[in-house]
Amino acid sequence: MRIIPFPARGEARREDPMMEELEAALRGESRTAQSEAWVALRSDVRALAPPMAPDFERSLRSRIDQWTAGSPPSTSPRPVHSAPESARRRRQPSRRLRAAAAAAGVCAVAAGAVIAAENTGTPRGGPVAAPAVVRAGTPATPTPKATNTPDTGAAGTAGEAAQPATSPASAPATPGRVQELAASITLAPAPADVQATADRVARLAVSDGGFVQSSQVQQQREGTSEATLQLSLPSARLSAALASLGQIAPVRAQSQSLQDITSAYDGARRTLADAVAERAALLRALAGASTQGQIESLRRQLSLAAGAIARARSALAAVSGRATTATVEVTVQGDARSGAEGLTLHRGLHDAGHVLTVAAVVLLVALAVLVPLALLAGALLLGARGWRRYARERALARP
Amino acid sequence: VSTPASSPHNRSRSHAEASPRGGLEGAAFEALFRGCAADIHGYVLSLLGDRSSAEDVTALAFERLYRSRSRLNHARGTPRAWLFAIARNAALDELRRRRRHPQRAVDADTSDHTVSDDALEHAERRETVRAALATLPPRERELVLLKFHGQLSNGELARVLGVSESNASTRVHRALTRLRENCSDPGRSEMP
Repeated sequence: MRIIPFPARGEARREDPMMEELEAALRGESRTAQSEAWVALRSDVRALAPPMAPDFERSLRSRIDQWTAGSPPSTSPRPVHSAPESARRRRQPSRRLRAAAAAAGVCAVAAGAVIAAENTGTPRGGPVAAPAVVRAGTPATPTPKATNTPDTGAAGTAGEAAQPATSPASAPATPGRVQELAASITLAPAPADVQATADRVARLAVSDGGFVQSSQVQQQREGTSEATLQLSLPSARLSAALASLGQIAPVRAQSQSLQDITSAYDGARRTLADAVAERAALLRALAGASTQGQIESLRRQLSLAAGAIARARSALAAVSGRATTATVEVTVQGDARSGAEGLTLHRGLHDAGHVLTVAAVVLLVALAVLVPLALLAGALLLGARGWRRYARERALARP
Repeated sequence: VSTPASSPHNRSRSHAEASPRGGLEGAAFEALFRGCAADIHGYVLSLLGDRSSAEDVTALAFERLYRSRSRLNHARGTPRAWLFAIARNAALDELRRRRRHPQRAVDADTSDHTVSDDALEHAERRETVRAALATLPPRERELVLLKFHGQLSNGELARVLGVSESNASTRVHRALTRLRENCSDPGRSEMP
């Protein structure tokens, strides 16, 4: 069998002796005739280029003296086509600064996205906020009405009916309209403070001139403790009362509703005025009656008219009561996350874990954005570098 | 004509050792300038054939080296090799600009220097070398200029060119062989 020799890695190649001789000659380590010839060739090649102009050499030397003395390079001498190197660099921020700004921007966007997702999401494992209290079905849009002019006669007769209040500050108040207000609020104290919070809510209702229509407190050793109170408060005090409730415990949810009852109020007033006018007419007729039969008949009609007036007054009082009082439904739900429990080791560890989790998520999102961008930038950088090198070599290949 | 340094590699190493953090500060940079400025200028002038552009590129190379001196990594080459790499890139960029702006006149003044002090024999030798260099392909001509002006080892040459050391050695060998063949005529038997 014939063995064909194949040069292994590191094996001396054909040009190696010549290159070794050249290197030794250029380093001055060889004094052979061939070495002297290499040195002479190098001198001849170098001698083909004329030396630096003295002016340029002095100028460059002074420039370098300035640099080394602490003054950074400012301009290049006699730029050919492009702007001087230093001028170009002044116009562009440093690469490190741009990269740091881009990374900081991506991290900020990622952190914002995570925080927004946490804030807008449904509370996990927590109780759902109570729905808004709406009396008589859905809140009605106030019916447009040009004026609200109650009958003068009836107004005097029905003066005992309290003037209705206007809407709370948070609701759009319409002058001259009669509106019914309602609100609901969900408080989230610590589980052990549900009863105490309910008591404070009841005391607040009384101090604000209202009362507790109903209340229900449910306390459990384990699980969620909850209390529900329905308050009746003066409409004019609704906003202040809600603000005071918000100071008792953290507010988890709050809503307010408004219903226009101007037409019902005006109708009740007109009914009362009509009944009063009818009674006055019957009294005048009774004064002019001459027969016993007429008198008996008018007295029966007066009795019916008195009943109608009483019913009309009651209806008007009911409508006025809807306007002057606001119903507030307060739900108190024990929340283990509430800060009322104070700082404990368990809570500290829990919070630390939460912070670390959020930080890890932010880091993960930032990496998910940065890694593809970095790969793309790296590919572009390599491509640009390769293209620049190719273009330079191509310029050199041009004769 | 600049005198070739006997040991440019050792001189560059001493520059680096004299500066803190291995960079080029103060005296080390000035020493590098003194040792390399003439060589850089000669190499760039031979490559571009234009004194004005050669001076621009020479100044630009030193400015770029000064700006990037903190990134100088001696494990990847000497400051001299780094400087020649910068000068080579700047010179090639200048050649690219000329291609994009062909109307720009180039005054080839590499032949206007006087040789009156040289002996006639030396003058003839150099004229022969000039003619032989001119007949080389541009890549090989640039390689010869880089090798002799830069006085770089094949390893440093490989880093400047961005190729492997064996590739650089092969290319240098091929270029010098062709140069030797171009120079070898009956009257120049002393050429290697």
